Amino acid sequence: MTKLLKYEIKKTWLTKLIVLGITGVAELAFLLGLCLKDSSAGEKIIPVSILTLVMIAFGGVMVIGIQSVLTLHRDMNTKQGYMLFMTPRSSYQIVGAKMLENGISIALSGVFFFALGFLDITLMFARYGELAELWKRIRELLDMFRVEVPITPAGIGAVIFASLASWLATVTIAYLADIISSALLNGKKFNGILTFVLFIALNILMNYMLRALPSGQGITQLVVIGVGSLVFSVIMYIASSILMERYLSV
Amino acid sequence: MDYNPTIPIWVQVSTMLRRQICAGTLSPGSKLPGGRDLAAEYGINPNTAARVYQELEREGICTTKRGMGTFVTQDENKIKEVRTQMAGDAARAYLAEIHGLGLRTEDAIRMLETAEGGKDAEK
Amino acid sequence: MLKSEELTKKFGGKTAVDHVSMELEKGHIYAMLGPNGSGKTTWMKMAAGLMKPTSGTVSFEGMPVGLESRKHVAYMSTEPYFYSWMTIRDVGQYYEDFFDDFSMEKYRQLLREMELEEEMKTKTLSSGMAAKLKIAVTLARDASVYMLDEPFNGIDLLARDEIRRCIISEAAEDKLLLLSSHLVEEMEAVADRAVFIKYGKLVEVRDLEEMRLTDGVSMADRYREIYGHTEVKQA
Repeated sequence: MTKLLKYEIKKTWLTKLIVLGITGVAELAFLLGLCLKDSSAGEKIIPVSILTLVMIAFGGVMVIGIQSVLTLHRDMNTKQGYMLFMTPRSSYQIVGAKMLENGISIALSGVFFFALGFLDITLMFARYGELAELWKRIRELLDMFRVEVPITPAGIGAVIFASLASWLATVTIAYLADIISSALLNGKKFNGILTFVLFIALNILMNYMLRALPSGQGITQLVVIGVGSLVFSVIMYIASSILMERYLSV
Repeated sequence: MDYNPTIPIWVQVSTMLRRQICAGTLSPGSKLPGGRDLAAEYGINPNTAARVYQELEREGICTTKRGMGTFVTQDENKIKEVRTQMAGDAARAYLAEIHGLGLRTEDAIRMLETAEGGKDAEK
Repeated sequence: MLKSEELTKKFGGKTAVDHVSMELEKGHIYAMLGPNGSGKTTWMKMAAGLMKPTSGTVSFEGMPVGLESRKHVAYMSTEPYFYSWMTIRDVGQYYEDFFDDFSMEKYRQLLREMELEEEMKTKTLSSGMAAKLKIAVTLARDASVYMLDEPFNGIDLLARDEIRRCIISEAAEDKLLLLSSHLVEEMEAVADRAVFIKYGKLVEVRDLEEMRLTDGVSMADRYREIYGHTEVKQA
C-alpha cells in the first residue's frame, strides 16, 4: 500500500507544485503591496492579489480533486494502466491508495490555504492597525448571511472540515461514476452522458442523505455534515473497489 | 542461425556437432556446453538441445557424466566410425546427384579429380 | 500450468476470443500464432488478469487468475506502457517495488546486453529501444510464466538474435514461456510447441519437432496451411 501511495504521489506532484508556484507569486505580490501601502501602486496591488489568493485557494483544492479523478481515468483507459493493474495488488489497495492520497492532499492543501489566509489577514491589519475592527466587520457579514457559526478556532475548524470532507465525498462519487463508466459502460452508447447523469444523481443522493441526518445548529451541524461526507466517501470506496475488481478490463 | 525448418532442428544441430567432432574442432574428451548454453548459442529451444545430446549419447559419440556435464567420447575408433559413415553418406549423395545428371560413376571420379586439380590451380 | 476453459471475450458484437480451451504446460516455449486480430493479445491479457472474460475461466496452477497469479506471471504487452515521467532506472525501481521476484542485478545486466543506459527517459526512447526495455524489465523477473506479446516487434534484424538468446536463457523445466508473434520465421527454432489461433478460435496445439519429423512441415508451412486461403479470401 505504501508503494502504491508513493506512485500516486509521483503521478500528481507536478500539478501540486504548479498550484504552489502560483500561490507563491500571488503571495509575493500581496507582500509587495503591503510594503507599498501608501503609494497608488500598492493600493491597486493589494485588492487584486487578495482576490487572486482567494481564487487560488478554492481553485487549488478543486484542481487537486479533479486531477485525482483524471489520473484514475487515465489509469483505467490508457496503456499506462497496465503498469498499475499488472502489479499483485487488489482493487481495494489500488483505489484505497488513490483515495488516501487525495484525501491527504485535500486536507493538507485546505489547512495550508487557511493558514496562509489567516497569516495574510493578520499581517494586513497589523500593518493598518485595525484588527479588532476587521473581525467585527466579518462577523456582521456572516450574520447578514445567517451563518450561525462563532468565529472561534472551533467554529472555523468546523467550517473547513465540513467543506473539505464534502469536496472529498464529491471526488469519490466521481471515482465511482468513472469506474462504472470504464468497467461497465465502456464502448456502449451514451457512456459519457450516462456517467455524468450518474455523477449528478449520486451527488443529489448524498445531499439528501446528509440533510436527513439529525443535525443541530452551528458547529454541531457542520461536524455532522463532515462526518456524514466521510462515511459516504467510504461507501463510495467500497463500491468502487468491488466493481473494479470484478468488472474492469484495461 | 539458419535452419531448414522442415527438418527437425535437433537433427540439424546434432549433425553440426558430429561434424565438428569428426573434424577435430571438438577434440576427444572435451567438455560440451550445458544444454541451456547450447540452446542459447544455437538459438534453439532448450528441449531441442536436450534432444541433441540424447541423440549423440545414443550413438555413443558423447557421454554424460552425472553432475559434470556432457563430453565428447575418448573412443577414437568410435569417432573414426562416425566419420567414415558421414563421409560415406556424402559420397552417396554426390553419386546420386551425378547419376541424376545421366553420368556414370567413372565420370564422377574424373569430376572429383578435376575439381581437386582446379582447387590446386586456385592456390 | 496455465489453463483456459471455454474462455470467451466479446467486445460489443465482436467475439475476440471464442470458447478457447487449452492447457499450457511448464518446461516448454510456446509460440502463439495467428494474423493480427486473431485474439492472441486478448487471450494473453485475460491470462494476465488485466481483462475480465465475458465467459469461461482462465487459471494458473488451478487458481483463477488474479492477485496471487500476478505474483508469478510476468506479462509484457505489445504496446509501450511505462509512465511518461519515468527513466529506465525508474522502471526498474517500479518493478523492484512491486515484484518480489524482480532482480535489479539481472535487470542491469540485461540493460548492458541491450546497450541501454539507466539515465535515459522512456519518453524519448526509439521504438526499438523501448521494445528492448520492455523485454529487459520483464525477463529480470524470476517468474513461473512469461507471456511476451510480440517480443520481436520494432526490434531490428541484428538485435533479434540477442533477444532470442535472452529469452532462451530464461527457459527452464519449471517455467512456461508463451510468445506471440506474426513473425513466424523468428519463432521457428525457439519454440517447441505452437498454438494456432484463427478468428478467436483455437485451431490446434502442436509439437513442432514431431510435426517436422512425421509430416515434414515447418511451423511456417503449417501457418500457411491454416491461414493461407483466408488471407487470399480477404484480399
